Amino acid sequence: MEILKVNDLKKTYTSRMGGSQVQALKGVSFTVERGEYVAIMGESGSGKTTLLNILAALDKPTSGSVELDGKPLASVRESTMAAFRRENLGFVFQEFNLLDTFTLKDNILLPLVLGGKSVSEMMSRLEPVAASLGIESILEKYPYEVSGGQKQRAAAARAIITNPKLILADEPTGALDSQSSADLLRVFSKMNRDGQTILMVTHSTDAASNAGRVLFIRDGVVFHQLYRGENTNESFYKRISDTLTMLRTGRDSE
Amino acid sequence: MKLGFYSKLAINNIRKNSRFFFPRICTEAGLIACFYIMLTLSMDGRMQSVKGGNYLSAFMWMGVAILALLSAVLMLYINRFLMKQRKREFGVYNVLGMEKRHVGRVLFFENLISSLLSVIAGLLAGMLLYKLCSLLICRLLQTGAVAGFYYVTPLTLIPTVAFFLALDFLIFLLNRISVAIMKPVELLQSNSAGEKEPKIKWVMLISGLVCLGTGYYLTITTESPLNALALFFVAVLLIIAGTYFLFVAGSIFVLKTLRKNKNFYYRPKNMPAVGGLLYRMKQNAVGLASISILATGVLVMISTTMSLYSGYESVLKKNYPQHLYLEAGFSGDNEEIEFLSPSDLEKIVRNAAEKNGAEIKDVEYHEYLLLAYYNSDNILYTQPEMNEADVMEVSSDIGNYFFMTEKTYSDLTGETLGLSQNEIVVCSIYNPEGLKDVTGTLTIHGREYRIKNNIYHFPISASYLASMFSCYGVVVSDENTLNEIYVSQKKVLGQFASDYTRRIAVTFADAGKAEAAGDAIENDIRASLNKLSDGRVLHYNLDSCWNAKEALLGMFGTLFFLGMLLGTVCLFATALIIYYKQISEGYEDRARFQIMEKVGMSREEVKKTIGRQVLLVFFLPLAVAGIHMAAVFPILTRMMKILMFFSVKLFVICTLITFAAFALIYVLIYIGTSRTYYQIVK
Repeated sequence: MEILKVNDLKKTYTSRMGGSQVQALKGVSFTVERGEYVAIMGESGSGKTTLLNILAALDKPTSGSVELDGKPLASVRESTMAAFRRENLGFVFQEFNLLDTFTLKDNILLPLVLGGKSVSEMMSRLEPVAASLGIESILEKYPYEVSGGQKQRAAAARAIITNPKLILADEPTGALDSQSSADLLRVFSKMNRDGQTILMVTHSTDAASNAGRVLFIRDGVVFHQLYRGENTNESFYKRISDTLTMLRTGRDSE
Repeated sequence: MKLGFYSKLAINNIRKNSRFFFPRICTEAGLIACFYIMLTLSMDGRMQSVKGGNYLSAFMWMGVAILALLSAVLMLYINRFLMKQRKREFGVYNVLGMEKRHVGRVLFFENLISSLLSVIAGLLAGMLLYKLCSLLICRLLQTGAVAGFYYVTPLTLIPTVAFFLALDFLIFLLNRISVAIMKPVELLQSNSAGEKEPKIKWVMLISGLVCLGTGYYLTITTESPLNALALFFVAVLLIIAGTYFLFVAGSIFVLKTLRKNKNFYYRPKNMPAVGGLLYRMKQNAVGLASISILATGVLVMISTTMSLYSGYESVLKKNYPQHLYLEAGFSGDNEEIEFLSPSDLEKIVRNAAEKNGAEIKDVEYHEYLLLAYYNSDNILYTQPEMNEADVMEVSSDIGNYFFMTEKTYSDLTGETLGLSQNEIVVCSIYNPEGLKDVTGTLTIHGREYRIKNNIYHFPISASYLASMFSCYGVVVSDENTLNEIYVSQKKVLGQFASDYTRRIAVTFADAGKAEAAGDAIENDIRASLNKLSDGRVLHYNLDSCWNAKEALLGMFGTLFFLGMLLGTVCLFATALIIYYKQISEGYEDRARFQIMEKVGMSREEVKKTIGRQVLLVFFLPLAVAGIHMAAVFPILTRMMKILMFFSVKLFVICTLITFAAFALIYVLIYIGTSRTYYQIVK
């Protein structure tokens, strides 16, 4: 069953003086099934970030539609948008975006607090999430007291604690060293095995090779996609890498 | 060519950072204007020749000294904020290949330009406002305005400009040094240094509570005006220390306690606010405490000077129950003074009054001996005896004693007391701690007198000496007894001994009319006395309420003006500190609120949370200032008794007016600055 349906998404930016126009998205369409783990790859300027912002309802498309679990984002009223995002989407950012004024625990609980949940419910939800991400021992610490990998795991905990329909991850390994990256990607795979749908934007082949499917975006359109199928991470890595090379050389020869 | 580049860059920077520079330039200009006005007032001969203007010079000098200190503190404070915000910018210059000395040059030009702008604007404003201020003072002193519009002299222009240029240069040097010792990487990062969670400082918390509690206890319970005067500064210091300690330690304690209460803390309304404040308080506690104290200072300064000024008439009435007092006598070579009889004195005054068209309503004759004693267990000691007897001063009551004979008393009141040899009658005229009967015996210079009874009216209107000391009237049986006391005190006190007072106190039917003719009446009295002296040496004492009024108005009016001027400066200083605080925090909070928005907080909620935090941070100092003011109110009323100001009601009204005006301006500033804050955070 489809959880996310993106249909012919276009986004045009007009410069402030109304002069030149830039088409960031030129008609992107794809769907994500429930329980899928999808990576979106593309170079800087390919339109990845614009796409993610639209999916996160932080930005509006010029034309086209996004449906989350059958509900068009355009139909959500502005006043309920924050609640809608809080309940249906989880976010993991490259820069963690943890609040330095709160402990990791409070950072993780923040979406539940904003959602007005009871304290007992918060605590009962926190426990399994913290356990599965291996951060129980550092919950009372502050973001500046822990490593980047631990921060990102806390951010992932914050994203899944609301049981969102979809997790949007923007370059989650971008600020991590290779060991922490590998740890985090294992966490993502585990979350996915537990049934969590994940959409991850990245330009790390390593990160993408963990996903079940990889979409390649170039110049504002979905250019190509790869399914993992029965491939291991290693062989999927090879195929992604080959595709990227092909995309690049293909463009060069144009 | 090169210098042109740096100055252009400097001008550009000032324009780009106008959010920081504009208030700085305005502040400095304002300070310069005030400084110039006060300095000029202290030197303007025209103002000092005005009735009551003789206090201007001394008070304005005091004001200039306070303002100089305030200016230095304020300018340094502003500069610190400015530099903190701009360190990143300097870091970028460094990375782009500008050497530190080049950055120094840019800094120099920025400082020069902003300081020149301030000086020009400040002096212009000062010269324009000078006339306004001098008119205001003349109005306060209730005299005609001085002639002429401008009073410009290099004697005040040069020191003003020199002081502020020197201050700016000092600030430039400090900035130059701070740039010199900074590493470029640190310059780039200094905005995003990690902050540790604040810990509860128990020692500080407890000492804060103790300091504030003791301070409040002193201000509320100190009854005697003299003790109040002595303890006021102790209390002020304690309250200041307590305020700082409690802001630093108490705020964190409260917030942490709130955080421990999970059902309170994990609410959408509370969590962002408590978390944010906990973080904020660590950096801002000291600043907020300073604002509270400044605000309290403003309230105290303006409300007391305003009450004194608007209540000067009652003060005058207390000091001078009648309008004119005259005592006179003559002495030849080595002769005792021969006093003029009451009827002679009255004749002189009546003639002078008639000649000048003033009608006399009443003439009282005061004959008494006024002596000061310490009373310890109903034994009276003079000052030297006191030291000898080694009696604790605190346990004794300092008082003024008006002695008169029964005959005088009867003459004045028509009542007879029937005193025998060792008997006296006592009247408690005034006591700062409340009137009490004196019973039993009273020992004066070793002789014990039996107190026959207490009376409740004494035929002398106690004069201003009654203010800080308690005051008693004592009626003794006869002339010999009175003389014995007179001789005894003369022996002990020598040249500091008191003499008999034999004066008449005149009340006029129409005080206004008498005052208008005041100078003429006094001159005529002097002329008559001189005529009567007939070659002998004239001793006289002529005092009038209108002369006192001039002095009182001069003193209170000048004080009120000073209070208003310094109060205004402090008010704007307060506002400015808050403004810079808002801006610097706005930049820090921006990132925080962006994250909250990403995590699922709506714009509306973000705005509300910001509003709550800003409101609290802004109005906490105002509330604290209000509480402090209420706490020091009792001791202030007692201290003002020393100046013979007794109207608590008037003081309450003045304090409320001051607080309301202060709060209003504060709110206006709040609206203005929070708009800037929202702009930044958005």
